[in-house]
Amino acid sequence: MTALDSLPPWLMALVAFFLVLGSTLTLLGAFGLIHLKSFYDRIHAPTLGTSWGTAAILLASLLTWSWVQDRVFVHELVIGICVMVTTPVTLMFLGRAALHRDRAEGGGAVPPAAAARSSADESMSSDSDPKAATLPTTLGSEKVRP
Amino acid sequence: MGTNRRARSRPRFVSSEDFCRKLRRKDTLGGMIEENLLLILVGLPFAAAIAASTVRATAHGAAAWVSGLLLAVGLAILALLHAPISDGQVLRATLRWVPSLGLNLTFRMDGFVWLFVALVFAIGILVLVYARYYLSKADPVPRFYAFLMAFTGAMVGMLMSGNILMLVVFWELTSILSFLLIGYWHQGQAARDGARMALIVTGLGGLCLLVAMLILGQIVGSYDLDRVLAAGDVVQADPLYPLVLGLFLLGCFTKSAQMPFHFWLPGAMAAPTPVSAFLHSATMVKAGVFLLVRFFPVLGETDLWFYAVTGTGMLTLVLGSVIALFRHDLKGLLAYSTISHLGLITALAGIGSNGAILAAIFHIVNHAVFKASLFMAAGIIDHETGTRDMRRLSGLIRFMPVTGALAIVASAAMAGVPLLNGFISKEMFFAEAADWHNGTWLDNSLPYLATIAGIFAVAYSLRFIATVFFGPEATDLPKVPHEPPSLMRRPVELLVLVCLVVGILPGLTLGPTLNLAAQSVLGADLPYKDIAIWHGFNLPLVMSLVALGAGVALYAALGGRIATGPEGPPLLHRLRAQRVFERILLSLTWKLPRLVHRTFGTERLQPQLRLIVLLTIAAGFATLWGSLRQAPSPLATGFNPAFALMWAVGAVCAVGAAWLAKYHRFASVVLLGGAGLVTCLTFAWASAPDLAVTQLLVEIVTTVLLLLGLRWLPKRREEIEEDKLLPARIRRARDFVIAVVGGAGLAGVAYVMLTWPLIPNVGDWFLRNAYSEGGGTNVVNVILVDFRAFDTFGEITVLAIVGVTVFALLRRFRPAPESIMLDEEQAGLDDRTVADALLVPSVIMRWMFPVMIVLAAYLFFRGHDLPGGGFAAGVTVSVAFLLQYLAHDVRWVEARLTVLPIRWMGIGLLIAGATGVGAFLFGYPFLTMHAQYVDVPLIGQVPAATALIFDAGVFALVVGATVLMLIAIAHQSLRTTRMRERDSADTSEKEAA
Repeated sequence: MTALDSLPPWLMALVAFFLVLGSTLTLLGAFGLIHLKSFYDRIHAPTLGTSWGTAAILLASLLTWSWVQDRVFVHELVIGICVMVTTPVTLMFLGRAALHRDRAEGGGAVPPAAAARSSADESMSSDSDPKAATLPTTLGSEKVRP
Repeated sequence: MGTNRRARSRPRFVSSEDFCRKLRRKDTLGGMIEENLLLILVGLPFAAAIAASTVRATAHGAAAWVSGLLLAVGLAILALLHAPISDGQVLRATLRWVPSLGLNLTFRMDGFVWLFVALVFAIGILVLVYARYYLSKADPVPRFYAFLMAFTGAMVGMLMSGNILMLVVFWELTSILSFLLIGYWHQGQAARDGARMALIVTGLGGLCLLVAMLILGQIVGSYDLDRVLAAGDVVQADPLYPLVLGLFLLGCFTKSAQMPFHFWLPGAMAAPTPVSAFLHSATMVKAGVFLLVRFFPVLGETDLWFYAVTGTGMLTLVLGSVIALFRHDLKGLLAYSTISHLGLITALAGIGSNGAILAAIFHIVNHAVFKASLFMAAGIIDHETGTRDMRRLSGLIRFMPVTGALAIVASAAMAGVPLLNGFISKEMFFAEAADWHNGTWLDNSLPYLATIAGIFAVAYSLRFIATVFFGPEATDLPKVPHEPPSLMRRPVELLVLVCLVVGILPGLTLGPTLNLAAQSVLGADLPYKDIAIWHGFNLPLVMSLVALGAGVALYAALGGRIATGPEGPPLLHRLRAQRVFERILLSLTWKLPRLVHRTFGTERLQPQLRLIVLLTIAAGFATLWGSLRQAPSPLATGFNPAFALMWAVGAVCAVGAAWLAKYHRFASVVLLGGAGLVTCLTFAWASAPDLAVTQLLVEIVTTVLLLLGLRWLPKRREEIEEDKLLPARIRRARDFVIAVVGGAGLAGVAYVMLTWPLIPNVGDWFLRNAYSEGGGTNVVNVILVDFRAFDTFGEITVLAIVGVTVFALLRRFRPAPESIMLDEEQAGLDDRTVADALLVPSVIMRWMFPVMIVLAAYLFFRGHDLPGGGFAAGVTVSVAFLLQYLAHDVRWVEARLTVLPIRWMGIGLLIAGATGVGAFLFGYPFLTMHAQYVDVPLIGQVPAATALIFDAGVFALVVGATVLMLIAIAHQSLRTTRMRERDSADTSEKEAA
């Protein structure tokens, strides 16, 4: 008999619901990643998994272990917060890199940069803040290098 | 063997018990005093060296006084020891040094050693007096006197060693210190070359001697000198005897400047004259002949010994004297004369009859006395006239009559003129050469060779006197010559006096001491041999007279020709051993390595890596071929689809990484990360959470480092033509095969290891004892910081070295020109909106910093009981720093965060080391850990092990090393920006112009 057998049916149903919900969302996200055509569309798909996909599975785990160990179990919350806070950063970087590349290659499918439209502002601000002008975020560029 | 050889068996120490009893019997009060006196005697010169090294750089008088007084004390001790020595006792003193190696600081003194040590001390004092006036005010004082005294100490230690290994140690010490002394005027090229040559030749000889002594010790079963000396029969019966003898003689011959190793001695004439007078009369070069005489009872009395030693000695004797005649340099003449006289002593040691050994010892003393005085006289001439070239010196007797008279007497002794000490020992040599017969060709030619050498000795002595002191007054000397300060002449006067006294009254002065010395070498039953001047009109006297007459005639006939001729005898002067040595040295240390490097080496990375991999594969196959087999009943677990899927993903990632590595490095690095992640999950799956945590963190840092490094690689172009041609394909196919073989081999080894049933091993002990002994439940961590803490200490030291090396290498790294230009990806980044758009991610990453620090602290403190530990915490903190560099640019981070990685590393090492040393305070060995529970307020019982402090050291060092490497790479972007700015400034200047 495993620990899971000790759960009451109602809790088991709840846990199962969260598990199915989370894994379905994650699966959908993974499917979307393959299926969607444009890169900009694709980076939206995995967010299904990193948001409610993760959250539902974590909730299931939280409920299970809180019951099994007879105390409120909150470790999963830390995981959830970390995942929720950090994954958008990656996606933002990816999106920005793609945008930058498309602009540099001039595919025409993406709107031009704001700087190109107001280059006068650009030169003024770079005078007032030379550091920002001469030192672009160095590591961003390394990220996008093939 | 000859009929008049001594009987082999001598009443020496019969067995080891007997020997020990003998030792014990001497362990009386008187013995104690003598023992201490011996130790003091060895220590005195070293004490003088330390004292002399502390005086001011100009305090000539003080250094000379201190050193001289300490040596005088040494002489007084020798006088005290004379009574027991003359009773035929052998004094011993032992300090236990490395008993496990049989290496004790044993000192012993018998008659022979006593004589030699007295000689070294006496000449040492005279040399000190002389040097006091010889050295100029500009010469640094402490260095000279300290080296000279340390050299004396090494020499005395060598002479008095009672252990043959220690003897070699002191022997090498004399080589090293003579190097320092010869190179005292290191401003001059000649001094540096001479010193280096002396060190290489005598040092190599010393290595040969060491090997000989090691084998000798193995044969005898003891490194104790007395045991070795008593074991002549055993040694000579041993099959290794020729090897021992060869190596031993190499050591002696290099030190005593026997042909063909003689060339270092003339080169060493670049030393200050007091050094030459000391090294080449009484000490350095005499060490070789000392050892020959000393070990004669062990290694001598064989045909091999006779041919090798006498042959070399005679060759050196004759050739040395011939070359000496043709040298123009005063000290060069004396140097070759020294070589020749050393040959004489060597030849005597080779002959090895009772009289020969006595004569050898006698000539050692005589040569030391007259050669020291001659060197000093040559130094005075050099000092007062400014030149040592005999072609320029002339008629000096009018300027310096006293010095001239002294030099004349001393060189007469060198030539072997009757009533001087050189005559008597030379006469004894002639007698041995003529008398002793074993019927071989070498033996038959001995008298003739000896006479020829005698003729040349007379001729070169005459040349020295005639050219320097007589003839017309020299006019073009650099200085106007005059007598030196009287104290500078005093040592010469004393030595010449000794020459005269010993020469006139040999039996009264040195006779008993010499016989004592010979007895202590050959055995106490040696009959007393009276040393007298007059033995009647016999063959040796005829030889002497022939040598004198023919020598004078030779010089009269050749004198003028020699002066105008080249430096060296006709025909032979072209063959300069010194130059041969230089050429060999050049080809061995420069040409050959370069040739080997050109032939077998490469500067390209790819062949090097290929070689490393191939060697590894070869080593693996060589060790495992045939022995690697599958376990009889391999461990197996059921098929798990989830695990299989995970591994499939990992395998695809790994293969994909290899596949894409050529043109798509970035994608390849991402896939590599995927493979690493699967590894990490596998560890977690297989209940190795510690490994999983570490793997995850290391994976993160590695990926980032790789990404940072990729920035500096040039872009690979798929359109390069050669890439698709046949050679490239063949090369890739070959590399593919190598990779597959290597990978498959490793996989096979891993498979066999993993499926092998568990056997009881050291791991079980660790598992059982981790808590009871180490106070922690995380066995991995307890092993790292407690059981095997010393290994960890070594590893973190290596990590620190690696970190500093990476930093040092990258500090000088200059990006390739094509990487400096803004590439197409960067071209649009002046666009400020990008920076603005990245504001949110960078803020989030900034706020992750405290979170990660907390995580690191968590990992650190739980480390002893749960997965985590100093290493994991350290990597976590460095990932936190890394994230800041990612979120902002370098300047932004460094304006706000001061990391000082070098200090982190240093402090880490110090903490770890201090924890280890702390164990000493409680009387435990290095790195003994202690674990107990501590009551912390509010928290309660907390396990606290000193291992935690050690772990803190590991933590700090890992943080430092990782951050140092990261910073080194991150700063490259700053440097590029700077170079780019300079480039654009250049172009704009050009445009303006």
